[in-house]
Amino acid sequence: MKKTFKMVDLDCANCGAKMEEGIKKIKGVQDASISFMAQKITIEAEENDFPRILKEACKVCKKVDAECTIEY
Amino acid sequence: MYARLLYVTISENMNICSYIDIFGGNTMNRKQKKQLKQIIFGAILFVICLIVSNFTQFGTLSKYIQAIPYVVTYIILGYDVLIKSVRNIGNGQIFDENFLMCIAGIGAFCLGEFHEGVAVMLFFKVGEFFEKYAVNKSRKSISSLMDIKPEVATIEVDGKLTQVDPESVTIGDTIIVSAGEKIPIDGTIIDGSCSVDTSAITGESVPRDIKVGDKAISGFINLNGTIKVITEKAFSDSTVSRILDLVENASSKKATAEKFITKFAKYYTPIVVFLAIAIAILVPLITGQEFSKWIYRALTFLVISCPCALVISVPLGFFGGIGGASDNGILVKGSNCLENLAKVDTIAFDKTGTLTEGVFKVTKVCPIDGISKEQILEVTAYAESFSNHPVSNSLKIAYGKEVLVDRVSNAKEIAGKGVSAMVDDSTVYVGNAQLMKSIGVECSNPNDVGTIVHVATDSKYVGYIVVSDVVKPKAKDTMQRLKALGIEKTIMLTGDLNPVAKEISKQVGVDEYYAELMPQDKAKIVEDYKAKGKTILFAGDGINDAPVLALSDVSVAMGGLGSDSAIEISDIVIMNDDISKVADSINIARRTLKIVKQNIVFAISIKIIVLILGAIGVAHMGLAIFADVGVSVIAILNAMRTLRFKS
Repeated sequence: MKKTFKMVDLDCANCGAKMEEGIKKIKGVQDASISFMAQKITIEAEENDFPRILKEACKVCKKVDAECTIEY
Repeated sequence: MYARLLYVTISENMNICSYIDIFGGNTMNRKQKKQLKQIIFGAILFVICLIVSNFTQFGTLSKYIQAIPYVVTYIILGYDVLIKSVRNIGNGQIFDENFLMCIAGIGAFCLGEFHEGVAVMLFFKVGEFFEKYAVNKSRKSISSLMDIKPEVATIEVDGKLTQVDPESVTIGDTIIVSAGEKIPIDGTIIDGSCSVDTSAITGESVPRDIKVGDKAISGFINLNGTIKVITEKAFSDSTVSRILDLVENASSKKATAEKFITKFAKYYTPIVVFLAIAIAILVPLITGQEFSKWIYRALTFLVISCPCALVISVPLGFFGGIGGASDNGILVKGSNCLENLAKVDTIAFDKTGTLTEGVFKVTKVCPIDGISKEQILEVTAYAESFSNHPVSNSLKIAYGKEVLVDRVSNAKEIAGKGVSAMVDDSTVYVGNAQLMKSIGVECSNPNDVGTIVHVATDSKYVGYIVVSDVVKPKAKDTMQRLKALGIEKTIMLTGDLNPVAKEISKQVGVDEYYAELMPQDKAKIVEDYKAKGKTILFAGDGINDAPVLALSDVSVAMGGLGSDSAIEISDIVIMNDDISKVADSINIARRTLKIVKQNIVFAISIKIIVLILGAIGVAHMGLAIFADVGVSVIAILNAMRTLRFKS
């Protein structure tokens, strides 16, 4: 199951790359890809895991750039 | 000197800002405005500090007192950077550019180079501000190209027109589209007619006329008149939504160049930082030179260790290329598709519907002596008037005049042979050679390619008409353009009979053709070329071509409008039927790749040069930052060139 979410205030491409790497390491994430240009993140995971994964993904983003969040 | 440099920085940035403004129309957001104020305020303080310490007695006071105004300025300028770096270290982000900038600045203070310390922070802030501004502008201007989403749908409720969210319209509802509005949902026109601007979807600039019974495709803009459309799809399944979805998600499929640069950035920063440490400690230890000189040089390293210029310019280039392509009616489904497209050296085309129009047309009219072309077309069209066979339709179109049905009587279809009918007072037979034989009429045996339609009136042979599929007008020209682009081989694949394939391939000018193929045969041929190490592109209309589309390195679906499966499975969708877009798309891909490569080489080499200059003590910290910002700006502006493509 692939889902795409909007990223808010992601304003550094390198940060996006760091976030992507961090999110890929979250348990249950099969694949993740951040498009800095479209300000979007696509996460591939089991449907039931999404609420938990998104929460953790937001934490990862906050660690890299405190102002950046995922909208869901 | 710094005052002058500062002036140059600000004025140059203003100039480039106004240049960037050409691309987009939006002003800065609140965060950016706040940043700008902070930078300007800090810059003014910095200039005052410089004046005071250089032209007054202040410069003779002790170092510690001299440092105070600079430290204050430094904190005003960079308090947010300081906070961020402390917080990020807490999060385990050691090689964070904020932290490195702080070290560089504080290091300069420790060495007694106060103005240098403030300058580092000032330039870093200016650079960061400008980079973000430019990137946001570019992002928005590309996105605005794709801003084709209809915001509202108009429906009729109790005789009154009401505007609603297109999401809420269900299949089978009737929507009304007035002049100037975008068609929000795919459907069929049930009332009215209008001209539509299809450019947002097809890239085609000539308006199209649509009327009752025609398909109304979402994203088209109604130029005049009002139409009523019965919807056939939900908003989220309509063409415009699907296209937006595809293009917006395109950049998540990353090209190898993008992966390379993120990987490079990952190693670049730590390597530069360790080099800096080595320079600061090892070199003076080994050579016995003074520490302060080498620590200063090491700080220069830290200043240019930020990889952002590299990381941003590559995806921006691809994004621009994808945006530019979609502006031309070519949908590219990912940066990786552009990369493959640029490498293509062999192109295979499906015949019917791709190289040819896919519809029958009268290509030759051969009456016997004494009968005019108009006469034979007239009787044929009348005799065929009750038939709906594609061949009959092409005959009626070729006749071009209205058929008066009361002149025709007793029309009959003779299965597998043709038709017969009474036209005025004579019996007309129209059909193949078998039909002529069965009515005892001698007919000629021409060797034209296509379907031969013989005509006889009152048991007398009057001639024949050739009906065949015709080559698209731009097909031949496109083959020549592809050759000029250095494509090694063009191939035509078709399930059609050999003589037809031979004739069409000659007309189009492809290098090779394969006829009488089943879909799996086509796939086999594509596989063979791949085995030979070729990068092969297959262009087809997406019908019956799934295996080939899946196997080829780059798959192009032609005429994406209305054909869902084609949009789904192919890498690139050409929205109208224009074959020349295949050449355009290769052009765009190559140009994008060229610009991306330029950016990679340029940014990496400038970084390395500045590192060397820093190590030998030629470049000081201010210049190093300046070079770093310059690289980002030039790379961003260069990347924006991908957006502009004229075929």
